[in-house]
Amino acid sequence: MRLKGKVAIVTGAAQGIGRAIALGMAREGAGVVVADFQGTKAKAVADELRALGAESLAVEVDVSQESSVKNLVDQVLRRFGRVDILVNDAGIYPRSPVVEMKEEDWDRVIDTNLGGNFLCSRAVVPSMRAQKSGRIISISSRIAHHGAKEGAHYAASKAGIIGFVKALARELGPDHITVNAICPGIADTALARGTQNEEALRGRLKNNPLGHALTAEDLVGPVLFLASDAASYITGQALNVNCGSSMH
Amino acid sequence: MTDVALISGGANGIGRAVSLKLAANGIFVVIADWEEAAAAEVRKTIVGAGGKAEVARVDVTKAGEVEAVVGGVLQRHGRVDILANIAGGSIHRKPIEEMSWQEWKEVLDVNLKGTFLFCRAVAPIMQRQSRGRIINTASNYGVTGSALRTPYSAAKAGVIAFSKSLALELAPYGVLVNVVAPGPTETARVMKNWTPEYIREREKQIPLGRHGRPDDLADAFYFLCSAESAWMTGQTLHVNGGLVMP
Repeated sequence: MRLKGKVAIVTGAAQGIGRAIALGMAREGAGVVVADFQGTKAKAVADELRALGAESLAVEVDVSQESSVKNLVDQVLRRFGRVDILVNDAGIYPRSPVVEMKEEDWDRVIDTNLGGNFLCSRAVVPSMRAQKSGRIISISSRIAHHGAKEGAHYAASKAGIIGFVKALARELGPDHITVNAICPGIADTALARGTQNEEALRGRLKNNPLGHALTAEDLVGPVLFLASDAASYITGQALNVNCGSSMH
Repeated sequence: MTDVALISGGANGIGRAVSLKLAANGIFVVIADWEEAAAAEVRKTIVGAGGKAEVARVDVTKAGEVEAVVGGVLQRHGRVDILANIAGGSIHRKPIEEMSWQEWKEVLDVNLKGTFLFCRAVAPIMQRQSRGRIINTASNYGVTGSALRTPYSAAKAGVIAFSKSLALELAPYGVLVNVVAPGPTETARVMKNWTPEYIREREKQIPLGRHGRPDDLADAFYFLCSAESAWMTGQTLHVNGGLVMP
């Protein structure tokens, strides 16, 4: 139980990687806030966590809206009185070639994937600073380094996360708050399934040196490591969890 | 079955901390080091704490010695699950015009060739097992470079590229190869060269405000030996308090 007594907010926790991380944190003894745009699904995940014996709270949030993020963190502080870990996982991935990309789509992706990191991190920093400890872990992507056809906004947002993480790590280091990113390779999740057909996805999932199709569960170990005391001297880094598909 | 770990440079500094950490987690540790007395001390500490370890004397730059150590481990234990190549050091710090060919070779041999020799000797065993973890040691200087450390920086950059290549070669066998890149770490050997002013000055450059400790590194090595990192290969984990964010 490496996270006993800690309180974690996981955005995008209603499904996929976020949900797996929320379950992993609960197994390690943390109280977990399931924060997601999909309120009903978030409640169902919070119920699952309680069934595991964890304290849990579901909050419906749009991470691209300042007032919504404020409401999230207010609710967490009212209920738990502290935030030890923030996992920024909420993200969207609509597909479109650049020449056809609508400005609204560009804004929505950048505001959600990258802006959400800014708003959620800014909102939890005062609480972490006050206790002189904290962990911020942002889910970037292999695409940050590699790019993706019909995903220029997504690639820009995920690369932006890495720059943001490095800058924030420098700002928060003196308060013993670490800030790191995880860059997953393509994983078998609802988000990935929404971006391509089944056959194409199946082919791509195992197309890596280890020949393994990543699942959401496979990302949990590295996130728990970064959240634990074992990683207290690691900050400003982006960990690639991609079966060797890129070694940036 | 108990996992068997071979740790080059396991007698001192970061290597010692890794030996203790792995042993504390139930792994049989072979402390391979040329400082036999220090290695024996580490073994004593491990056994005293209820762990299991043995000592193997080795000069990592000598192919014959490396092969003999690996052969001996295979004979006694029948397997090698983890190889951590930690033996190394910057050794000579001086401007390039004063760096002799001999000194250059000495630094390249202990940091890069030693890693190659151990990997070459252990890889066939891990391939047969269809299982294994190799963790090599680089340095932040392998990414940033460092004045007066031209051979060391070259060797450590070499370790990173070597490890990526080996990761690709061994991936079909399920054998993972990763790198830990320490920043400046408080080991007895390097601290001899650090004045209090130097320490204070550099701490200001490190976002987390302190130098690394051998235990910080041991945690990272253990992570890369554990099931939690099962889908990472060819990667470099920088443990430096935020000093370098490549």
